[in-house]
Amino acid sequence: MTPIHLNEEKPMQSRSESIPRVKQPAISVRQLRKTYPGGVDAVKSIDFEVAAGEVFGLLGPNGAGKSTTIGMLTTTIAPTSGSARVAGYDVASEPLAARSISSVVFQEPVVDRTLAGRRNLDIHARLWRTDPSVARSRVGELAETLGLAELLDRPVGSYSGGERRRLEIARALVSEPQVLFLDEPTVGLDPRIRHELLDVIGRLRDRSEITIMLTTHYLDEAERLCDRIAIIHAGKIVALDTPRALLAGLGHELVELRVNGDAATALSSLRTRGIAGDDAFTVGSTLTVPLHDRTAAHAISAIHDADLAASSISTRQPTLDDVYLQLTGARLADAA
Amino acid sequence: MTAISPEMTLPRPRARHNPLAPLATLAARRFQLSVRTPRELVVPLLTPILFALVIAPALKQALHTSAAYEAFVATGTIGLLIPLNTMFAGLGVIVDRDGGAQRELLAAPIPRSLLVLGNLAVAFAITALQVAVLIAAAVARGIHFNATATGVVWFVAAAALFTVGMYGVGETLASRVPKAEEYIARLPAIAIVPWFLAGSLFPISALPGFLAWFAKFLPLTHGLALVRYGLLGDSSGLHNIWSMHSATTMATLSLAVVAFFAAALMVISIRAFNRAAVR
Repeated sequence: MTPIHLNEEKPMQSRSESIPRVKQPAISVRQLRKTYPGGVDAVKSIDFEVAAGEVFGLLGPNGAGKSTTIGMLTTTIAPTSGSARVAGYDVASEPLAARSISSVVFQEPVVDRTLAGRRNLDIHARLWRTDPSVARSRVGELAETLGLAELLDRPVGSYSGGERRRLEIARALVSEPQVLFLDEPTVGLDPRIRHELLDVIGRLRDRSEITIMLTTHYLDEAERLCDRIAIIHAGKIVALDTPRALLAGLGHELVELRVNGDAATALSSLRTRGIAGDDAFTVGSTLTVPLHDRTAAHAISAIHDADLAASSISTRQPTLDDVYLQLTGARLADAA
Repeated sequence: MTAISPEMTLPRPRARHNPLAPLATLAARRFQLSVRTPRELVVPLLTPILFALVIAPALKQALHTSAAYEAFVATGTIGLLIPLNTMFAGLGVIVDRDGGAQRELLAAPIPRSLLVLGNLAVAFAITALQVAVLIAAAVARGIHFNATATGVVWFVAAAALFTVGMYGVGETLASRVPKAEEYIARLPAIAIVPWFLAGSLFPISALPGFLAWFAKFLPLTHGLALVRYGLLGDSSGLHNIWSMHSATTMATLSLAVVAFFAAALMVISIRAFNRAAVR
């Protein structure tokens, strides 16, 4: 396996065709809704904006509406109502312009397996009308950057899963998109390849000229890569903020206890005694209590005083899973 | 840390190059994919070649018909080759959809009708090559054609328009059925059954009254009558349809029918593709 090294000394060619016409967010979504035939509401009137150069994550389980949102922004799914703009271009009325400045790495493989990797890149460059000489140098640069140089002249069918994924990322970048959509970019990959790809994407975010919107149901991906995260659940955005701010909502530490009886009754008891606030929550027999300004020792002592039949008590720092759990009542890993 | 600015400048839409360049790219892609599966090129050719070179001479001998019957069947097999090949070409749409490549193409900044036209261009070129091979094989077998320059124009126009229309049928069907198995199951009814009714092996006047009347509405009947008029100088097929005296008038009317078929199916296929591709 060829290691992936992003050559930071050789930045990708900067865009030279920008003109100061109208300033816009990179992505702007207003009351966007998608109802599929049969009445399935996949996306229920969502709103958000993504600033230029930002890495924005849509975090949620399978079926939450992430891919439908990406589909509408890339004009492969028609919105039922609402509006969406990519670099100022309305995806419904100016789809060609919106597509011309964006690229997408889909969740499923989309490469032509019988063609060589180089030919796949070439087709993308031609369809996006990238200048041939620019495309040639860019293919060489991306091949080096993504560790594809040895592979490009082989049929894609002979690539491993990770190599094919890197090729798809290279293909999306060969047209120098201003907005890059990554739909579950690491799903289905083994852990080693996944971490290598996260490195690649992590280095892409260091380039301020590209705006990245990625969907994922992996918490570590969202926390590691995203400047801001929208948590999407059943087609609705239930929280939107920086990872740090989302975590801060649960305080610096929380207590987790496993009760032998009814967790809801235990939670009610803790709330009555002022130990648990409104943001404490239960999953099965596990009760999670954010501490906020209380100390762990004080909270644990108070829990003992409450005489709850708990089989275990522990403290830990909150994670995005706790945020998701507190907002939706389900663990992201279970829902995914 | 990423440098985030709340706003971005609108990019200048990329310079308009030759509008046919994306079409050429799509056609080149489809052609490369097609030549990597040679059976798609060879299989549609086998049955018509068999009819033209083996079955037609055998029928001539068994039925004690004249040598012209061989030419009649040889030209009739063009009416089998074109539907078979264009319908096989339609399978590429399903392969693109199932393999995922269609999603990338749909995200490209090109009018989506070009995706249909790119496939059509390759289906058209491969069909033309196969028709040429069929005619060359028939000539090599000793089958005699009687084509003038004007006749060749009628033949080429009829074959070309019928190819476009039949590809439209294939593309429409591919957009509407979810699986390749379903597509293939419907192929005989669309590509082969009409061939038996359209005057390929015998004139439509030999059909029972209702079927003869029905055959006049088949675009293939008009296409085959034009092919024979062009390659053999035989206007009897046109006369069986129109019952007129002027061969040129009848040919013009039949060509109009085939042209309408081609135009209508292209429009229908592009609409069907757009509806199926964008959910």
